[in-house]
Amino acid sequence: MIDLKFTKSHEWVKLDGEIVTIGITDYAQHQLGDVVFIELPEMGDKFDQGSQFGTIESTKAATELFIPLTGEVVEINSELSNNPQWVNENPLGKGWMIKIKVNILSEMGSLLDEGSYKKILEDEINK
Amino acid sequence: MDRKTIFDKTADLRRSDYFSSPGVPLISPGDVLSPQFLRDDLFLPSLGELDVVRHYSNLAKLNFSVDTNFYPLGSCTMKYNPKINESMSSLEGFTSIHPYQREDMTQGALELLYDLEQKLCEITGMKRFTLQPSSGAQGELAGMLMIRKFHELMGNKKNKVIIPDSAHGTNPATASMCGYDTLVIDSNSQGLIDIEKLRSMVDDKVAAIMLTNPNTLGLFEENILEISNIIHNKGGLLYYDGANLNPLLGIVKPASMGFDVVHLNFHKTFSTPHGCGGPGAGVVGVGDILKDFLPVPLVNKKNDKFYLDYEIKNSIGKVRTFYGNFNVLVKAYTYILRLGRDGLLRVAQNSVLNSRYLKEKLKKYYELAYIKDCMHEVVFTCEKQKERGASALDISKRLIDFNIHPPTMYFPLIVKEALMIEPTETESKETLDNFIQIMIEINKEIDVSLEKLKNSPLTTILKRVDEVNVARNPKVRWIKDKKSI
Amino acid sequence: MPYILNTQKDIKDILKCLGLSSIDGLFKRIPEQLKLKNSVNLLKGLSEFETKNVLMGLADKNISIDSCNSFLGAGCYDHYIPAALSYILSIPQFLTAYTPYQAECSQGILQAIYEYQTYICLLTGMDVSNASLFDGASALSEAVLMALRINKKNKILISQSVHPEYKETLKTYLSGLGFIIKEVGFNNQGIVDNQALFECLDDDVSCFAFQSPNFFGLIENVNELVHEVKGKCVIPIMATNPLSLSILKEPGALGVDIVCGDGQTLGGNLNYGGPSFGFIATGKKYIRQIPGRIVGATVDKEGKDAYCLTLQTREQHIRREKATSNICSNQSLNAIGAAVYLSLLGKEGLKDAALYSFSNAQYLYKRLKEVRGINVPFKPTIFNEFIWEVEDALIIIEKLYKRNIIPGYYLEDKFPKFKNCILSCCTEKKNKKDIDDFINAIAEVLHG
Repeated sequence: MIDLKFTKSHEWVKLDGEIVTIGITDYAQHQLGDVVFIELPEMGDKFDQGSQFGTIESTKAATELFIPLTGEVVEINSELSNNPQWVNENPLGKGWMIKIKVNILSEMGSLLDEGSYKKILEDEINK
Repeated sequence: MDRKTIFDKTADLRRSDYFSSPGVPLISPGDVLSPQFLRDDLFLPSLGELDVVRHYSNLAKLNFSVDTNFYPLGSCTMKYNPKINESMSSLEGFTSIHPYQREDMTQGALELLYDLEQKLCEITGMKRFTLQPSSGAQGELAGMLMIRKFHELMGNKKNKVIIPDSAHGTNPATASMCGYDTLVIDSNSQGLIDIEKLRSMVDDKVAAIMLTNPNTLGLFEENILEISNIIHNKGGLLYYDGANLNPLLGIVKPASMGFDVVHLNFHKTFSTPHGCGGPGAGVVGVGDILKDFLPVPLVNKKNDKFYLDYEIKNSIGKVRTFYGNFNVLVKAYTYILRLGRDGLLRVAQNSVLNSRYLKEKLKKYYELAYIKDCMHEVVFTCEKQKERGASALDISKRLIDFNIHPPTMYFPLIVKEALMIEPTETESKETLDNFIQIMIEINKEIDVSLEKLKNSPLTTILKRVDEVNVARNPKVRWIKDKKSI
Repeated sequence: MPYILNTQKDIKDILKCLGLSSIDGLFKRIPEQLKLKNSVNLLKGLSEFETKNVLMGLADKNISIDSCNSFLGAGCYDHYIPAALSYILSIPQFLTAYTPYQAECSQGILQAIYEYQTYICLLTGMDVSNASLFDGASALSEAVLMALRINKKNKILISQSVHPEYKETLKTYLSGLGFIIKEVGFNNQGIVDNQALFECLDDDVSCFAFQSPNFFGLIENVNELVHEVKGKCVIPIMATNPLSLSILKEPGALGVDIVCGDGQTLGGNLNYGGPSFGFIATGKKYIRQIPGRIVGATVDKEGKDAYCLTLQTREQHIRREKATSNICSNQSLNAIGAAVYLSLLGKEGLKDAALYSFSNAQYLYKRLKEVRGINVPFKPTIFNEFIWEVEDALIIIEKLYKRNIIPGYYLEDKFPKFKNCILSCCTEKKNKKDIDDFINAIAEVLHG
């Protein structure tokens, strides 16, 4: 059973022990439109929870990507640089961005489960 | 339609002999310079003059322009560019003078700059102007760096600049280039700065607020004096982005609204042509407290002689080479002489009159972003049209089929599906009536021929262009037999 | 009333439609205390005829360089401009159009700028050029800001032999950002002092900006400089005269990462120094760090060749406080002018312009060296200008002025080391007689 969690800033997190995979949600890619460029960090870069780890761009907007959990980058989806459209086509699959090794397991509690994330989306759409 | 580039058209050697051999011994660079300094080959096309003239004349036909089309592009003030400006600025006495010629050989140019500055001071109420900045953005940089240096010298520790959410992108970009953090102040439901929020935001860390007035929604910030007090009371300064000065000429001086620094866009308010995006001029005026911070040099007068004065106590230095986009300054000077006090006032009056007419006539069909009386431009939201299937983009593209340049779209950012329309004072009522009819027509088309709208423009040589793939894989130069860099 | 088409009747009709009784009603949102009672205090407007007389009067008070025998250069050069160039730039659909944001009704502008970008890439040997910056000084400043973004270090080295106004502008541009700018001196050959440069290269250095041909007209050892700084992971930035690149090695082939400069030599009038345009070019890997507008080639939805502005997320209207620069308007018309100039001259014409300028400068160099009392301190490793020295230079300049000769730019104000030194320039507009006249005059002034 895959454990998928979410953030208010529309990133998703897939947990697999202390390694987690990170990407943006379907809602986020839809809001952004056609993705043309993604700037990702380097292997070994370390981030604190909530800090910016990259940028994602459409032709008309650039949005920051925020790291859901404190950790160190251990893998990067390097094929995204040539295929940014994957984020649109399959944001939860081949549109994944980075994998990190998490440092502070207690931070997991701050992530949203699917139900709470959906509620946030509803609020946002109604705004 | 032939879309070959000039590089694809190169023929066998054709030459036009624009100048002759100077009569000195011709020296091969290789005889004097070491081979490591010399290039092997340079590909450039070889064409005859007619080839070139025809190429560019045909390219020109693919463009809309103020001379050929109604161009109601909000915030850009696409007014008519009088032709006398062009012929005066191309006088040899202006085009063929060198910036390092001695001042006694350029007294006419210096006198023009001096007198232009005097006139700008009178129009804005500011004390002195630098004519150096090449554009509004460079004017902003100069103005904000003066503010920065002022605070530094006064020992004020300030690190923030307040900018409305409706502001031009150049404002926050400039603040960053000056090392300031940007604080965004929201607009209230009336489209004006939320005064209470502003009050709670301003502390003694605020270096300045950057404002356009009328703002980018076309609305006059009625509480400008209160804003000025709030900022000044905490030791901050007021920066005026003059992009929207047009409707205030002869009506209000920026100085009397409390502004300490003002930039003017000559390519907007003072009728110099936009030239596909420049050259413009972004002159900057300041009040007494910033006079000593202006870039060098200023033009001063002594014993009836004009001279370049480099002795400015706290000058921020130079913001570009030489003395500014002189040729553009000549055009604006010509325009100001031509209009005089009454002409300037008429500009303001008619720019507001025309935009209010459009607002009144179109508000039944397109929803106003804000209902308040607008000044020189009006912002509609096409959200209702979007629900019916046509976005602001579709409506804009359809206008092209009617030979009208689209308004500014999706700006200001706080208005969804925004269309920002600025007719300017130089358009006639017939042109406005025609535009109104077309806008009503397009609104009807949404219900009867939506596909047409979605596929527009239909009359241009091209359909809508793909902006996505080029951003993913940019091709930004021609390469022989290849399509990417 | 000039340039206003609304008649009194139109005004009345519109006011009626708005439910207003007078035009003042349009301004009722403006607090009374702010309003002027009776416009501004300027003279009333002039007729077109009167305006023309005023402007012609002012123009007549200037002495055109064409009526003197001038050897002024120093960053602004008097080249011949084909008549067809000003003709093309006065076509309304270039002159009075705005930035080509709406691609479908701006294809001609977009293609012309794309061709300009290509010309800059061809001359510099780089992959990417933007659509122009303001002038050489702003181009150099933006190049430095670009390097700082790329490697995020905090120290800038700049050669002392760069145009002094470029250096001053750079200092102004960076004055709010807290970086360290350090000047690197020149040696007794008038070019960058390698030893001094080497001593300055530490881990904090982001970039090294130099100019070649430098402000004294001398061609730098670009190869060596680039090799040296790249060895320390420092970004080489080279300012240059694009016309010189028709004979000099393209900086792209020498490993320079960012090439910039002023494009006035490509068909620009003197215009008392402005407008010209700035150019900036770089390698493909830095494309997303370059400031300003860029045109890209694409297709329309039916697959036809098309052009549009691209990579706009770098720019202020989208990225706002995080933009690569605040630049919005640039100098498009001048940049398009450069493309037209290069097209008109063509490969051979451009080489002629460069070769004639070079040969004239070499001839002047040789003749001046022969004049007793004149010292020409550096080798003729130059493109179109060089420095010479004469005792009591200011007095000599004054005497030459009286003979309608402008010998060049007096260097001492900006470079105290070069007391009594003059920077003289030749373009293809000079000829043997101009130069001989100058030499004869100076010989007379010096020796009677």
